[in-house]
Amino acid sequence: MKTFPPRVFAFGLPATHEGPRPLPLPTTPETPDLRGPAHFLWWLLMQCRGIFWLTTVLAVFWYVPAGLSPWFLGRTLDAGVGAHDVGQTLLWAGLLLVNLTISSLAGTLMHTTGVAQWLNVYFRGILLVNRKAMQLGHNLPRRTPTGEVLSVAMSDSDIFGAVGEVMTRAIASALAVLVVAVVVLQESTRLGLVVLVAAPLMVMLSWPLLRPLSEARMRQRTLSSTLTGMATDIVAGLRILRGIGGERTFGDNYARQSQDVRHASNRAAPWQAGVDALASLMSGGLMVMVTWLGTREVLAGQLTPGQLVSFFGFAVFLVSPIQTIFMFLNRWNQARVSAEKAIGLLGQSPPWTEPTNPVDLPVGGEIVDEKSGFRARPGELTVIVSGRPDDSARLADRLGRYLPEEDETVALAADSDLRGRAARKERARLRELRREQMARDRERASGRWGVTVGGVDLSEVPLEQVRERIVVSDAQAAVFAGSLQSLVDPLGRASREQAEAALVTASAEDVYDAVPGGWAGVIDEKGRGLSGGQRQRLVLARALTLDPEVLVLVEPTSAVDAHTEARIAERLPGHREGRTTVLTTVSPLWLRRADRVVLMTDGQCIATGTHEELFERSDYRRIVARGLEEDMDKEEAADE
Amino acid sequence: MSELSVDLLASSAQTWAAPREGRADLPDELFATHSGGPIRRLMDLRSRYLVRQRRAEEWFRASRAPDRGLPVASNAEVWRFLRQLVGRRPWMLVAMLVVNAGAAVVGVLLPGLLGRIIDRAAVGDPSLPRELGWLVLLAAGIIVIQVALQFAARAITAIFGNELLARARESIVRSVLRLPLSRVESASSGDLVTRVTRDVSVMGEAAQWALPQMMISGAVVTITLTALVVTSPLLALPNLLALVLFAAVAVWYLRRSLPGYITEGGAYSSLNTPLTESVDAARTVEALGLQRRRTRITDGDAEVCGQAERYTMTLRNLLFTGTDTALKTPLVILLALGVFGVRNDWVTLGQVATAALYSQQLVGPMDLMLHTIDRMQSGMASTARLLGIATVPHDRSAVPEKPVGQHMVGSDLRFAYREGHDVLHGVDLDLRPGERLAIVGPSGSGKSTLGRLLAGINGPRTGAVTVGGVNVMGLPLDDLRTQVALVTQEHHVFVGSIRDNIILAREDTADDAQVWTALEAVEASDWVRALPDGLDTLVGSGNTKLTPAQAQQVALARLVIADPHTLVLDEATSLIDPRTARHLEGSMSALLTGRTVVAIAHRLHTAHDADRIAVVIDGQIAELGSHDELMALGGEYAALWRAWTS
Repeated sequence: MKTFPPRVFAFGLPATHEGPRPLPLPTTPETPDLRGPAHFLWWLLMQCRGIFWLTTVLAVFWYVPAGLSPWFLGRTLDAGVGAHDVGQTLLWAGLLLVNLTISSLAGTLMHTTGVAQWLNVYFRGILLVNRKAMQLGHNLPRRTPTGEVLSVAMSDSDIFGAVGEVMTRAIASALAVLVVAVVVLQESTRLGLVVLVAAPLMVMLSWPLLRPLSEARMRQRTLSSTLTGMATDIVAGLRILRGIGGERTFGDNYARQSQDVRHASNRAAPWQAGVDALASLMSGGLMVMVTWLGTREVLAGQLTPGQLVSFFGFAVFLVSPIQTIFMFLNRWNQARVSAEKAIGLLGQSPPWTEPTNPVDLPVGGEIVDEKSGFRARPGELTVIVSGRPDDSARLADRLGRYLPEEDETVALAADSDLRGRAARKERARLRELRREQMARDRERASGRWGVTVGGVDLSEVPLEQVRERIVVSDAQAAVFAGSLQSLVDPLGRASREQAEAALVTASAEDVYDAVPGGWAGVIDEKGRGLSGGQRQRLVLARALTLDPEVLVLVEPTSAVDAHTEARIAERLPGHREGRTTVLTTVSPLWLRRADRVVLMTDGQCIATGTHEELFERSDYRRIVARGLEEDMDKEEAADE
Repeated sequence: MSELSVDLLASSAQTWAAPREGRADLPDELFATHSGGPIRRLMDLRSRYLVRQRRAEEWFRASRAPDRGLPVASNAEVWRFLRQLVGRRPWMLVAMLVVNAGAAVVGVLLPGLLGRIIDRAAVGDPSLPRELGWLVLLAAGIIVIQVALQFAARAITAIFGNELLARARESIVRSVLRLPLSRVESASSGDLVTRVTRDVSVMGEAAQWALPQMMISGAVVTITLTALVVTSPLLALPNLLALVLFAAVAVWYLRRSLPGYITEGGAYSSLNTPLTESVDAARTVEALGLQRRRTRITDGDAEVCGQAERYTMTLRNLLFTGTDTALKTPLVILLALGVFGVRNDWVTLGQVATAALYSQQLVGPMDLMLHTIDRMQSGMASTARLLGIATVPHDRSAVPEKPVGQHMVGSDLRFAYREGHDVLHGVDLDLRPGERLAIVGPSGSGKSTLGRLLAGINGPRTGAVTVGGVNVMGLPLDDLRTQVALVTQEHHVFVGSIRDNIILAREDTADDAQVWTALEAVEASDWVRALPDGLDTLVGSGNTKLTPAQAQQVALARLVIADPHTLVLDEATSLIDPRTARHLEGSMSALLTGRTVVAIAHRLHTAHDADRIAVVIDGQIAELGSHDELMALGGEYAALWRAWTS
């Protein structure tokens, strides 16, 4: 039985499995039920229904014997110890032992299946979010703050797991309360009624204290997360603090906030102590009541001493299942809020509609952007020069069929300060915003795209093929943690020679040398520990290793020094020979190597030619040789 | 492709791995085969458990002694630290112990009273009905006192824990702020971030939850056991014997649980990191067609977490079996002993009932105690990692001499990040006060390293950098900052006021007038004046957001306040975003005026404007001179310049 992590096939991404034996993987995708929070939660739990019901049954076998133990104890005292009867004592104590053993055994098994169930739900949440993020691709960070996406994966999924676990126990608790109710009523109707009424009342009475406690805790958590933020901030700016100074100021700021957190925690402390003390007061009060009524019944001969002891046990026992039921109700409400967040994410779909009559992208066709008038001939290195870097970046996005990053992102969760109706209203508003956002994206993505390759509009070609044949390495292209080899050849398709050649073309040999272990050398998360220039050259090497038919590079050497840039510009045309390369930059070191340079102003291509030809134009010169113009004449005179 | 590059990639053939299926961190032996009879399966389960245990222990050892990142303190240091913290509030510790013990003592009175009542009811004591009202009132009184003491105990203990935690985290952040400069500049911040966030929160949980709970349950267990012995030594016997079993199980479990949970935490952070990368860089994933690979990575990471969970789950299963036996069977044996006791008149029925109630009262606190010890262990491990920050040795030893003048000289500078791999090979450089020197050269040539040696961040392996005749590594940090500063592309805006963000270097002396002067110098006074609270406006993450240009101006104003005579600008062109360059040229030149500037230049026009240009190639200064001199020389620089301008 393989319950965690589950094998998830969803949103077009199949399940995978590590391990020696190929296990049967799901062949049909699962579709989460997103009609509402309760539907979604139930759907999640029922994805592992076997383990869910098994855990519930085991919880029954854990709770019910535990609830019956006081009765066995009472019998042992009355029939055995009280009657000085060794045989009866051993019989009833033995039965008590059997009873306790069943409970322990079921408890241990329940722990196993309960954890399995929790983790099944938790990991399913993570794996679903991961698949959804991969399905949405560049649309995800455009639409939704990525921090919230990750919190759905890591925190909200955990809440789903927890609610499932407490649900099985709550079901069993309800059953155990019923069983104990029958037993106590048979033992003594009056005392039974007292216990059955008082126990839930006790739990409910402690309810009013919970609200100020949770508010005090909330305040403490908010202050505390600010404090953590300050510590992270100090670490992030530590180079400056140690290089320039300011240790005292920020050390003191931290200490002040730390004291605020301490005071907030101290204010929460009496509430917590109060909740605990109230619980003791209630159960103590119940004990006293049972003693008073019970002893009178014993004196009246209606109750045996053993039964009295049993009643203490029942009174103590009943608190826990009733608490579990209340805890479940509380958690369920929490989980519904989390489920809304998850639905907000999982309910998003990519804006693309696959072409009805798909065509293949022509090989070696001219690339034309109708909007800006940009053209790139096949097999050439075309460089886009623009006074505004954003314009050329936007053109690069269009060439690769990426939607523009124009909209604001929409949050998944309402502000945590909002309560009740205000929170519900805010959530409805966010739902509406998300709906509009998706509709806008669909609108943008449908119909003609306006970029053609060999006369074929990109919208007529399956998106997967566009991505395969036209690769855009944008300015924010990320470096992934892993071995240097997996970074440079992420698809694992290239030969060593190809990867070496790409590394050399990107002039990244020094990075190879700086990372101990050669290709197996470890690159940290987001390329931490590498300089900006090193990261940029690895990104370039990766794009070159992919070796796509059309490669669009946005500012590929903006963080690289002139020496190295010159080297890369010299090597790249040979490396990309026979393939189409489009590049945006204003550096003359690249422009000299370009087959064709396109000059852009205000988002329109206004001139095309070689660097030398365009250099005649003053607007072009201003952009490429910013700050150098006045020296230029002097320089040129000296050179000739 | 040049010969040189082929040589640099010499290890390529040995380290390039053939594409492989499966992951190294998920060996086959971790997976069940689901074959054979029940005995065979049980043995398989055991061998998987042992493999998981070995993995957990290896991971734990590695996490205790990280080969990269910061050191970890020893257990002795952790204990010393704790003793110091607790020692500051001895009266509070005493009060806490007294109140907790008091609450526990009152807590055992009720079952005793109950036993008496049962005994009297059983023999039909005629005075009982009359006294019952008083006895019940007494019981109610006991409850009220117990609850009051319990309330006080919990509140005091929590307050004590809060204070402990606040002191601990403040002292740790101070030690972060004392880290040697070279360490801060070289280490990646990831390890430090984890320590000040996750480890502080684990330590906090130990201090705020585990420590108070342990005190409370410890008191209850001790007092209840004592009460049990006082009630009847005979009836206490099963519980006392079970205590031995309980202790044995607890020791067995606690030895294994810490590595288990640390490994589990590590597995989850290894799951988190690639998932974060995938989500943050969803566009890159899409562009490269990595969707399936990224899901496969996270599926595998989840499997690794699952394996870590399976280990701790097995541990807990064995623990529960052991503790359940140790905590619940004594009751049954107690009852069996009770019948002999009652028959021989050693004990009364009421005493048996009291003892049975005590025995049951022990279960909860003992369980709780075990779990709190578990958390305390994690808390101690985190504290050890946090205290490790303070154990980083200092890298500079102050000399009494004071620099005379501003003349900086570097001679015979050699430096290696890894032993045997010098990146500088005996560089000599004489900075003329007030000049602008540009350092150019290909990446990996050592120009950034040279900048760091000049700024006194790292000490050279041989040779020395002196300012006014004094070795920069001998200057106290506060003095060094007024002599030379390294400016990198970072322009971090701290959480705090605008003033806090600017006065850094002279936090004890600078007044508002100086801050305004600095802001005016970098042309930032207008927008600061327009802010709602002026210099007191809170900025940084979560507060008023500054534009990139404003953030850069704040970074420049810091340097104006610091007022060093020499500035080393590393990748300073990236400090100035091309989109904001126009606005900032004035601010930058205001800062540079009247100072010696060493600019590690990416863009050639920066070099062109400098008084002298040093071309660094392969760890040596290959060319040094003015633009015109180097053009006349016709070397590397001249070739590059022609490529740039033609």
